[in-house]
Amino acid sequence: MVKLDDIKKECKSILEEGKVKYIVGYKRNNNYYMSIPAFIEKIEETDQLIWDPTCVYNLVRFLRDEKLRKERQKTPDTRPIGVIVKGCDSRAINVLLQEKFIKRENVYIIGVACEKSGVIEKKKLRKKFNEKNIKQIEFGKDNNFIITTEKGKTTISAEEILAERCIECNNNTPVIYDVLLGEKVERSLSEHFRSLEKFESISTEEKWNFWKKELDKCIRCYACRSVCPMCYCDECIADSISLAVKPDTTAEEKAQKIRWVEKSPVSSENFSYHLIRALHLAGRCIDCGECERVCPVDIPLRYLNKKMEKEASEQFGYTAGLDPEKPALVSDFKDDDPQDFII
Amino acid sequence: MQMILSKMNFSSWLKKLNSYRIFAPVKSGEVWSYELVEKPENIILDYPNTIIPPKKVLFPQREVLLEFESSSEQEIKLKEVIPEETPSVIFGIRSCDASGLAKLEKIFKGGFEDLYFSKRKNQTILVGLACNIPPSPDCFCTSVGGSPYSKDGLDILMTDMGDEYYVESVTEEGEKLIESAIGLFNDPEENVKKELEKIHLESEKKIKRYIKDIDKISSKLPEIFETEFWDKESLSCILCGICTYSCPVCHCFDINDEVICTFPLKGKRVRTWDNCQFPDFTMHSSGHNPRPDKASRLRQRIMHKFNYFNENCMELLCTGCGRCISKCPVGIDIVEVLEKVRVYEK
Amino acid sequence: MKNEYIPKLARIVSIKEEVDGQRAIKTFRTQFVNKEDFSFKCGQSAMLSVLGKGESMISVSSSPLINDYLQFSILKSGRVTTALHEMEPGDVIGIRGPYGNGFPIEDWKGKNLIFIGGGIGLAPLWSIVQTAITKKEEYKDLLLIYGSRTSKDLVYKEELEELKKKMTIHLSVDNKEPDWKEFVGFVPNNVMDKKPLPENAIAVTCGPPVMIKFVIKALNDLGFKDDQIYTTVENKMKCGIGKCGRCNIGSHYICKNGPVYSWAVLKTLPQEY
Repeated sequence: MVKLDDIKKECKSILEEGKVKYIVGYKRNNNYYMSIPAFIEKIEETDQLIWDPTCVYNLVRFLRDEKLRKERQKTPDTRPIGVIVKGCDSRAINVLLQEKFIKRENVYIIGVACEKSGVIEKKKLRKKFNEKNIKQIEFGKDNNFIITTEKGKTTISAEEILAERCIECNNNTPVIYDVLLGEKVERSLSEHFRSLEKFESISTEEKWNFWKKELDKCIRCYACRSVCPMCYCDECIADSISLAVKPDTTAEEKAQKIRWVEKSPVSSENFSYHLIRALHLAGRCIDCGECERVCPVDIPLRYLNKKMEKEASEQFGYTAGLDPEKPALVSDFKDDDPQDFII
Repeated sequence: MQMILSKMNFSSWLKKLNSYRIFAPVKSGEVWSYELVEKPENIILDYPNTIIPPKKVLFPQREVLLEFESSSEQEIKLKEVIPEETPSVIFGIRSCDASGLAKLEKIFKGGFEDLYFSKRKNQTILVGLACNIPPSPDCFCTSVGGSPYSKDGLDILMTDMGDEYYVESVTEEGEKLIESAIGLFNDPEENVKKELEKIHLESEKKIKRYIKDIDKISSKLPEIFETEFWDKESLSCILCGICTYSCPVCHCFDINDEVICTFPLKGKRVRTWDNCQFPDFTMHSSGHNPRPDKASRLRQRIMHKFNYFNENCMELLCTGCGRCISKCPVGIDIVEVLEKVRVYEK
Repeated sequence: MKNEYIPKLARIVSIKEEVDGQRAIKTFRTQFVNKEDFSFKCGQSAMLSVLGKGESMISVSSSPLINDYLQFSILKSGRVTTALHEMEPGDVIGIRGPYGNGFPIEDWKGKNLIFIGGGIGLAPLWSIVQTAITKKEEYKDLLLIYGSRTSKDLVYKEELEELKKKMTIHLSVDNKEPDWKEFVGFVPNNVMDKKPLPENAIAVTCGPPVMIKFVIKALNDLGFKDDQIYTTVENKMKCGIGKCGRCNIGSHYICKNGPVYSWAVLKTLPQEY
């Protein structure tokens, strides 16, 4: 089992040695059982760090902010930043390295193995507990979670409230790291694309109706895009104006920016936004599930991305984020690539 | 006017209101939202809180302002599109959301009057429901001048008394709505009035979150404008639009032309919700952005709510509904941010 | 009830190319298709529409004393202004407004007025310059200090030549040019060179933010008090009526409370412009 003290010790020592500028990890939300991202700069702050099944965030997303910050500073501190990653999160780092968005030397990776469990899914938790009463959730022995409520402690099998993505996960141990905490445990909780089965078996019309209903709920807060470690484009097709304006960008260039997606939250625009995003994540999404977690109106976005992941896997034998040295799925072709997708 | 309505008679009252469009909280999956209700008898007034406040009924996320048509550059036809005149009632509004609508009214009707909001507001009757139990653990209405049974902005306030509702009219419109079905209502007895007072007082005590010295914080904000405070507090912000879209008083919008056909030109000028957290909100066409980073955008959100609006309208632009806290994907907590402002030393 | 979001249709009656190239500027004169009431003050702006492209807030550069037409000088910069630059006389645009506070020129009667402009920044000043020259008897001395990067970037070239007969004008370009006989250097340097006197004077400056910053410094050095210095600020705008929430600096909406500020007020507001 991963010991929180080991995480703190590691963080303390790299801060002490000045190896990193700061560390992105997890700390407790003062008013809620969930964790929140922590930005640890000083050694004494490492005491705030926690490691429990509420550490759902993919902190790799914050590497983008660091990059932006550095670009703005005149004399930036070039030391790497430390980031605590789970198995899935570590694959996001690999994708960013593969796409040359970040450099390996700019990040110090503190890998933490999920071992036999993973993180919680609030929707599942709510079905079993009154959220208001929950004080804390901890890892128990084997694959159990210990839930502390006002009434005391309850132990439940992790699988009951485990995030669907964790149940389908094949990478419970980080695939890239500078230091690894916890043990490499082989596990196979479930079929990798289990959640798609139900969805794939329905008719095209039912699928259409399903997505129409779901995507019509979208309020276009772009939380899915904002939280995604892969959505780092300077210029996103979903934005109405060109954001990548440089001093030498001409008025014509700005004027000619095509508005693919209008801001109106109507079916056509919502479909365009979500489908374009799903396609842009094909072969890149590492299924950290953050987009679905943050959606305020509960759109099951994972289905879209998972389907793309399955296609990549079955058609091209490709899994995103396993090897930063190999070419990315869509920037590479082989003579014997399947052509089935061409209608 | 103070009346008692038996819960059994609630749907009969709604049925009598068949000349109105009725909006109420509706549950879909796990998400509650204000929707146009086809069968008013199905309304359940026992709900936690909607994700999107009732502002969406009076200030919809998408509003067509005008339609345009043109067969040549020399000739253009404009058609004003204004909301149709249909009297409506919104049921089950929480006090925080109602005071939010009152604040929105100040914004949209003050100075240049916004016809789209006014038209809707003028024909909508707002029926509130007091919160006997805080609908969210993040509620903090009492810190920002509200209360779980405030009548601010409402036409009628209802309080759940167990088997019956205590129904108080606040405005003439509200009174008319009760009178239209007066046979269903009874006069309250003295002991019920006392019971009501007790319920209200207790409901206030159940609110756990509190902002200390809000006035001091409000006037301290400009002092810390230029400090590192905002960089630190915004570190985990991902710049999404949840806090603002789910806010009962955030009213910022964008206007864009949506072209249906380029020749002959045909399209609509559309207003949509927009928010101060998005990069294109303030970016000039030159690429210069006066609020270029998350620190300046979190600062704008807090300053607007707790300082700028206070300066212009002598009140806070926050109703304490707690939505921005509950729904923030990274746990940014406005009550905590304000507490940190309070104790911050340069 | 008036619907503030519906523009009035106006026809472009003339277009003059002021500056060409990457930062092209054109001056448009428009007349309303129907008779409309558009009484405005110097320094106020109008929201111009190119249907299908959107709206853009542009300051009126003609004098309120002219009833025949409205004049706008527009720098080609984004979607709407590029579309405007592609238009021809006879084409129809939308206009709504006027918006903003305008210059308090009523308070400036009997004073010396000093106008200091850079590049397209002469456009909002032009409205007061024209008004002041027409009502010359109401003001004391009028002085214009105006410059741009190159002589090709100066707007209203012919009008300036004509105007020189009626008031003092000092022009400048940033770098030496073969046939340039006037000042060479940045606008603030020209101000320091010409040393206008602060006594009973008001200085109004418009131009790029960097220029404004140094002009104000120069004026302060010459003894001008903060409340003798006026300028205009710009931010992205959508509604023009203080509702859409994006053009604010502090508690001020530039579209409504601005764009004209005395430096005494502006310096107390956050620098978010």
